[in-house]
Amino acid sequence: MPAHPLRVAVVCSSNQNRSMEAHNILSKRGFDVRSFGTGTHVKLPGPAPDKPNIYDFKTTYEQMYNDLVRKDKELYTQNGILHMLDRNKRIKTQPERFQSCKEQFDLVITCEERVYDQVLEDLNSREQETFQPVHVINVDIQDNHEEATLGAFLICELCQCAPCGVRDPVRGLGLVQLRRRLRGGQREQAGAGPGAGSPDGLLHQLDPAVAGPSA
Amino acid sequence: MHEKRPKLFLMMASGVGEQAHGSVASQFYSNEEETAFDMTTSEKVVELLNQAALISTEEKLIVLKQVQELIINKDPSLLDNFLDEIIAFQTDKSIEVRKFVIGFIEEACKRDNELLLRLIANLNMLMRDESVNVVKKAILTLTQLYKVALQVSLSVSDMQEACWDMMTQIKEDVLALLDSDNDGVRTHAIKFTESLIITLSPRTPDSDTPKKQEGDISLDKIPKDHTYIRYDTLCEEGKSALEQLLKFMVHPAISSINLTTALGSLATLARQRPMFMSEVVQAYETLHANLPPTLAKSQVSSVRKNLKLHLVSVLKHPSSVDFQGQISTLLLDLGMSQSEITRCTPATVQPRKRLHHESNALFVLADAPLAEDDEDKEEPAPVVTPKPSSSVGTQSAIDLTAEFLLPLLTPDNVANLVLISMVYLPEVMPASFQATYTPVESAGTDAQIKHLARLMATQMTGAGLGPGLELCKARDEEVKEEDGGAGESSSKDPLIIRKLSAVSLGQAISVVGAPAAYKSPITEEAPQIKKLPEPILPTSQPKAPGASGRKKVFKLADVVQPFSEAQIEKLSNMAIKRILLSEKVIAQSGMSHVRVKLLARLVTQFEGGKKNDLLQFILEDMRGRSELAFSLLYHEYNEYLSQQPSGSLDSYEHCLYTLLSGLQEKPEQRDGLFTKLVLEAPVITDSALEVIQRYCEDESRVYLGMSTLKELILKRPSRQYQYLNVLLNLSSHEKEKVRSTALSFIKRMYEKEHLKDCIEKFALTYMQFLVHPNPPSLLFGAGEDTEVASPWTEETVRQCLYLYLSLLPLNHRLVHELAAVYTEAIADIKRSVLRVIEQPIRGMGMSSPDLLLLVENCPKGAETLVTRCLHILTDKVPPSPELVERVRDLYHKRVPDVRFLIPVINGLEKNEVIQALPKLIKLNPIVVKEVFNRLLGTQHSEGSSSMSPLTPGELLIALHNIDSSKCDMKSIIKATNLCFGEKNVYTSEVLAVVMQQLMEQTPLPILLMRTVIQSLTMYPRLAGFVMNILARLILKQVWKYPKVWEGFVKCCQRTKPQSYNVLLQLPPPQLASVFERCPEMREPLLQHVHSFTPHQQAHIPASIMAVLEANSRKPEPEPQPELHHPEIIEEREVF
Repeated sequence: MPAHPLRVAVVCSSNQNRSMEAHNILSKRGFDVRSFGTGTHVKLPGPAPDKPNIYDFKTTYEQMYNDLVRKDKELYTQNGILHMLDRNKRIKTQPERFQSCKEQFDLVITCEERVYDQVLEDLNSREQETFQPVHVINVDIQDNHEEATLGAFLICELCQCAPCGVRDPVRGLGLVQLRRRLRGGQREQAGAGPGAGSPDGLLHQLDPAVAGPSA
Repeated sequence: MHEKRPKLFLMMASGVGEQAHGSVASQFYSNEEETAFDMTTSEKVVELLNQAALISTEEKLIVLKQVQELIINKDPSLLDNFLDEIIAFQTDKSIEVRKFVIGFIEEACKRDNELLLRLIANLNMLMRDESVNVVKKAILTLTQLYKVALQVSLSVSDMQEACWDMMTQIKEDVLALLDSDNDGVRTHAIKFTESLIITLSPRTPDSDTPKKQEGDISLDKIPKDHTYIRYDTLCEEGKSALEQLLKFMVHPAISSINLTTALGSLATLARQRPMFMSEVVQAYETLHANLPPTLAKSQVSSVRKNLKLHLVSVLKHPSSVDFQGQISTLLLDLGMSQSEITRCTPATVQPRKRLHHESNALFVLADAPLAEDDEDKEEPAPVVTPKPSSSVGTQSAIDLTAEFLLPLLTPDNVANLVLISMVYLPEVMPASFQATYTPVESAGTDAQIKHLARLMATQMTGAGLGPGLELCKARDEEVKEEDGGAGESSSKDPLIIRKLSAVSLGQAISVVGAPAAYKSPITEEAPQIKKLPEPILPTSQPKAPGASGRKKVFKLADVVQPFSEAQIEKLSNMAIKRILLSEKVIAQSGMSHVRVKLLARLVTQFEGGKKNDLLQFILEDMRGRSELAFSLLYHEYNEYLSQQPSGSLDSYEHCLYTLLSGLQEKPEQRDGLFTKLVLEAPVITDSALEVIQRYCEDESRVYLGMSTLKELILKRPSRQYQYLNVLLNLSSHEKEKVRSTALSFIKRMYEKEHLKDCIEKFALTYMQFLVHPNPPSLLFGAGEDTEVASPWTEETVRQCLYLYLSLLPLNHRLVHELAAVYTEAIADIKRSVLRVIEQPIRGMGMSSPDLLLLVENCPKGAETLVTRCLHILTDKVPPSPELVERVRDLYHKRVPDVRFLIPVINGLEKNEVIQALPKLIKLNPIVVKEVFNRLLGTQHSEGSSSMSPLTPGELLIALHNIDSSKCDMKSIIKATNLCFGEKNVYTSEVLAVVMQQLMEQTPLPILLMRTVIQSLTMYPRLAGFVMNILARLILKQVWKYPKVWEGFVKCCQRTKPQSYNVLLQLPPPQLASVFERCPEMREPLLQHVHSFTPHQQAHIPASIMAVLEANSRKPEPEPQPELHHPEIIEEREVF
């Protein structure tokens, strides 16, 4: 049995929709999960495509919720943003930026290729310390509510396939099988970093616990 | 659960939690174990360890981690005490527990380095654990602890040598694990190698060392005089580790994980040890050019992402300055834009140079000769030479080979290479190639050729080929020799010695080795190769020979003289011929598609002769070589496209034309290849269209040809009118089969809305020719002389009408155009037209509104046409009321020509017919006969249900009643004769009724008696009835109508002796009149009376008897001969 439960991070751009949907489902299924965004700001749809609502990562979901209610309750109820925020604030207080988190994970799941690139870049820019490997897997999910829900289930399935696989690469076959299934549907991508490995081609080294806040 | 375990253990597992962890830990304890709060740490540890021995694995881990936290972080003084107790768990049956022990060893040794002396053996044992996971964990720990061991060995004076030996052994073991079967183990081994190389190489000022590793030991901190740690040994070990890593990287079946891991390790190495920059960049280059074919698509993409990422991070390092060119080329290939690359490129160039010089004084030596060398060499190659020590070997090999290749990469050579390598292309494009392939933008530029030369050099060197490699081998041997010779004296600084020799040798080798090496294969001076490594003192050989040596390098290219034009031509012809003839062999090998592609490409690029050869070859077996034909055609077209807008289609046209004509001329070809070729050709040129037309004109293929044409029309809208025109022209073709096929195709196409106009216009244009006095030359085909004004013939008229007439049933409106043309045409044409319209008009039917309209309007001059139409329409079926109405209108209001009425006569009212009769019977006898046929229903053999408005009887009566002022008697008689001619219509019964009715009329019709006589002649058994008639005529005083009376007498004359009784009923004067006319009647009549019984005789009035006996003595006059012939009698009577 593993030394500790699988530690999962789900990462999307704004830590609102896709990552939170997966966070929601994974935590309901009993996973040790955290969610993140990689963007510089938190962006939510606004009244027009070129007028998004922009917040920084310090703003809580509650504040965003109230802000949007004030701005146009009707619109944001109708497009589901308020509902989403309401869900989010019941999961955690505010969005978190992946680059600012130094916690250690076994599995990092990204929700689009750009995010995957950013995660990879960030991980590579960190100093090596424990040489502990981490999987980074990209599951392309379109940024809308329906796709987010579907994607979240996929991610959940992925995690369930590899309860020990990530921690214990030799037995990581579950993950390999899932990859095969994923290929039909969602596009999936994986990369390995400078860390140690597992047979399925999806890992990355992550240096956790870098003491002190790093840039 | 959430607040209980995970947070804490996450932190503990990470193992580097410092103060923060401690605080979390203490929270934990305050929450969990209030009771234990007062216990000393030591007591707690004891208790926990006791628990751990008894509980399940999961709980054991929790407990052990608590212990670890306590003795490492909380109270390290306890570490020593409990070490053995914890290490005892290394034999635990749980993998996780054993892994924990390894983690504990790591933490413990980091806390107190000297513990490693005691724990190294345990680590060594765990390294050989049966569980791969434990091995991996051990490697991970060793990665951290190797430098600790080195540190300890240096700083602790009484450090046992055995400990270090063991560590060295373990290190070798881990390196050996690079070949492990387990992918994960290999990955861990790579990371170990990375950190090993870093430790075993000197940190230089330009090293980019992470803050956390500032204090880590590295080669530069190793004292040269240590008792058992030898600087040079470590240095060599580091280099050999790097070599192993590089060798590992180029394994063709390396896994994606290992590859990405190794890529990352190399990037770390390059940044932390810039001296290895050259190897790293080169390894990247090699990898990029040789992505393992085993990678899946997503893996390729992942590897490329990593490669890009690491290249950028290397590029950002100031020491990358010498490699910027190579790195940016790679990054460009990986899809990064030039501007992005520039952004990542450090601006400082000069400082680094200086840095290099300072850091390694040797480079002064290296640079000096180079600078001079540059002067007599046009080609600057500054990047090549100044390399950090260990890189010189391989770097130069690639560089030299690249330099050697550069002048050889002429377009001809490259083309040949491409051709040759075609054969080796795999069936399916490998994912790696697909992902990495980007179109070469700067093809043919110097930069690109250089890049290409470098790529090839990398490959060649990798494969152990190329002049560069030979040079380097030679040099390496020399180095060894020199090392051997100078080793003792310079053992203090082997590194420097090595560099010195390498650099100086670089010079030396280019002096002698190069020419010999290049010449050897040609001049068979093989033994000289062996002599290459002969030591040559760098000082004794100045640069001049070096220069000449280089020139000789290029002489190889000079030796190879270009072929003459003719030779090239001949060779290429032969080459192509060989490819052509190798058809079967290649087909067997399953690569025929490659051959097809190759041939098509090659031939497209050549002029004339070869093309014709190939085309001829294809035509020899068109079916079998159709693929080749298509490929060639497409290539030709592609060639044309690539030359847009100025390109000419000639070549393509020639190809298409030749293929099509070839097919057309081949008699036996039947499998639709022609159609396929036409339909799949990118463009149909004019000449090709001519071939198609010829094909259509061939009677045996007309259907296939026209189907093809039809497809063309329907599927190539841009030029469909041109194609349509061909088809339309064929519609008046002289060959019946061609024409009818064309017509049926056109008819089908006529249903298409967009083609309708065009077809119609064509048909009308042709019809309009009919108004010309002579047929246009168009109809005779292009060959005939247009000046000869031949007259219209039936045939030419038809030619103009075929299309029109076949369209007519589809579009009735066209009929008006015909009428317009008809009125203007000459009589001959009119006749022809009337002959040919039957079929289409019948097809239109009499309900056609347009036809009705034509009848209604009946343009002047088109009466005959309209009449003809009417006839055609009513020929087999009775006229419709609408038609009758139109005709009636026409007749009454506009053209009172009774002939109009004939076709619809059965549709008219009875009185109308009677009214028209006088005019009708005056017409040409044939026409009259036709009219009667219609009226009597005798024309339709199939007994159609045409209901005549007049019964036969009524007709005959009507004839009798025609006013003689309106019609001459002769016509009437002829008409009645026609009636009598129809014996099966005018039966005795019918005639009897007619006679009866006529007799009852007053006045009596003139022809009454004629009809009676005729009837009698036809049906002698009517005699009785006739007697009755005669008797009744007497009552009507028949003698008052002279003509009738004349007939009466004649009738009596002919019907004697039955008529005697009638005659006896005549009043005496009339009887006398009879005898006047026919004196020969008296005597028989008298005898007849005498034969009566006396009683009967008494009934005969005396006056009668007087008449009878008046001239009894007179001799009887001779009977008039004509009296015996009713016909002649009639003549006399009527006229």
